[in-house]
Amino acid sequence: MIDSIYIAWRYVSYNWVRSLTLVACVTLIAVLPLSLELLLDESERQLLSRAETTPLVVGAKGSSLDLVMNSLYFGETLPELISMADAEGVTESGLAQSLPLYVRFKARGAPVVGATLDYFDFRGLHIAQGRNLALLGECVLGARAAEKLGLKSGDHLLSSPESLFDLAGVYPLKMQVVGILEPAHSADDLAVFVDLKTAWVIQGLVHGHTDLTSVTDPTLVMDRSQGNVTATAKLPQYAQITPENIDSFHFHGDPADYPITAVIALPYDDKFSAILRGRFVAGEQPLQIQVPGEVIEGLLANIFRIKSVLDAVILVVGLSTVLALVLVFALSLRLRQREIQTIFKLGCSRLAIARFLGAEIAIILAASALLTLLLLGVVEHYDEQLVRTLFIR
Amino acid sequence: MRNLLQITLLLLTILFAPATVAADKLKVYAVNYPLAYFAERIAGGQAEVVFPAPPDIDPAFWMPDAVTVTAYQGADLILINGAGYAKWISRVSLPRLRMVDTSRLFADSYIRVAQTTSHSHGPGGDHSHSGTAFTTWLDPRQAVQQAEAITAALTRKRPAAKQQFESNLESLKSDLLALDERLARGTTSAADRPMVASHPIYQYLARRYGLNLRSVMWEPDEVPSETRWAELAQLLKEHPAKWMLWEAEPASESVERLRSIGVESIVFDPSGNRPVAGDFLSVMLKNAASLEDVYR
Repeated sequence: MIDSIYIAWRYVSYNWVRSLTLVACVTLIAVLPLSLELLLDESERQLLSRAETTPLVVGAKGSSLDLVMNSLYFGETLPELISMADAEGVTESGLAQSLPLYVRFKARGAPVVGATLDYFDFRGLHIAQGRNLALLGECVLGARAAEKLGLKSGDHLLSSPESLFDLAGVYPLKMQVVGILEPAHSADDLAVFVDLKTAWVIQGLVHGHTDLTSVTDPTLVMDRSQGNVTATAKLPQYAQITPENIDSFHFHGDPADYPITAVIALPYDDKFSAILRGRFVAGEQPLQIQVPGEVIEGLLANIFRIKSVLDAVILVVGLSTVLALVLVFALSLRLRQREIQTIFKLGCSRLAIARFLGAEIAIILAASALLTLLLLGVVEHYDEQLVRTLFIR
Repeated sequence: MRNLLQITLLLLTILFAPATVAADKLKVYAVNYPLAYFAERIAGGQAEVVFPAPPDIDPAFWMPDAVTVTAYQGADLILINGAGYAKWISRVSLPRLRMVDTSRLFADSYIRVAQTTSHSHGPGGDHSHSGTAFTTWLDPRQAVQQAEAITAALTRKRPAAKQQFESNLESLKSDLLALDERLARGTTSAADRPMVASHPIYQYLARRYGLNLRSVMWEPDEVPSETRWAELAQLLKEHPAKWMLWEAEPASESVERLRSIGVESIVFDPSGNRPVAGDFLSVMLKNAASLEDVYR
């Protein structure tokens, strides 16, 4: 038997190009469906674990998937905006605590998440370097965002304008990075966290500028009437919040009207959760309340429907590849008729020849199995990152 | 041997008991002294109440540094006054779920201050800087409501001590209502008598007791400019006040010059910051006594 394997090995080694092609074909057939299975399992785990730890999400009526993806995974599709009064409404119901979120802006490609400090407690996020948010204009980076942006505590990060063509729009805000979070292995790792009020500064709703009553440049003032100073658009606003100018930052209008994208509602118990959901269903308010776990399960059901189609495609491709391999072996046998005859004339039995050929196939299959295991090991090791790069961005 | 072990255990218990109790105390941070005082009275030994503003500043216009903000963030409860008091709250990051707006329940009764300056610029169009009178506790009945909000928050945090909190609240309420009664009695004889306040901070006091009070914008430690004196003279023509209320002891030059035009000075300390001597109640009783002199 060892002799057969040795001769088969020598043959496989000698015809290495053909052997490698066969190994690659067999490996691909095995690796593709198994990797997909692994990645889908991981994406299911990631999506569900975050969704299941988020009891309820309140947002504007519209796509529940956009709302949940934006609130939980900081997805790029912006849901319709709601106001801080809606977050207060949830608190005042006495049924749940509320965590307002404003996930709208970006900074060098990373999502800027406007939240209150309670969000950090809720998600169990801890500071690894520096300190937590304290003053307006500061930001804290998720572990991977810090790595990707090459920033550390003490550096600065500029918010990105929403539209490059909005020349009269709000200046980008130069935020100070005050802390880096410990890796949480979730979407939080990729985010830039700011206080809600800082998010409103980015939007221009909260701003700071020189005292208008003491402005002497006539081109900055459009009108001075009784108790009212109307400034021109030329009046510069501060693009960075410093200890020197922080006192000049102010709100315009009622903060209850300020925009947010969603409210994470934390009901005090299951009964309160049901009552709260009932109020949104029964009410005529332009809001929806969603259980993220249910929305994500719906999404996953769709993914798995797509997966079964993919499985069928892979099965057909696999079958045709197997047929091609059989053809390759059959043609190879025909090409090797003369050498098989020589072996036979040397005195080897037909069984011994079958053993040689069987050993060749076994070596190719074993090499493919080994390579498959290796590749699956790599996929499993990086599945978390792969899922985030490929599926949950 | 067993006795020795028991004595050792007892000694260890005595040694470490205070530390355990201290660690078990709720940490309550307040944005002004009245709230800190109410919390101290209501919580008793159940909480460590911290009011970190320096003694020489007005907490309403204070801006804490990042270290102090971090200390606030670590509190179990953060008592805020509401009504726009302590604007620094809007410029820092605090845990919203641990903040208690003590005047929220009577937000409908806030006094809106006539806007002084408004402006417009940028994409937002016209805006105005209308304000809200924020010394809510100068109406003792509102102070009682603020104390009740503190009690409710403390009870939510420590339900086991509910009875203690409620009993302490009753005692505080009784003091505040007695103060209210004294202020009402002291001012009732001539509440419509014209008065001038050195600063527009007595709106709730004036509303509660029907005082005929108008304000200027003077600082107690600064001698007003001639323009300010002229403004006062103008005001006195239509509002012939004989007394001016100061938030702190005024400069002697100001007192003398006011006296020369027939206006006497009294101090009514709103007690926004911790007093050098006494406590909130003693300061308020002193204020009541001063008002009694005016309205006698």
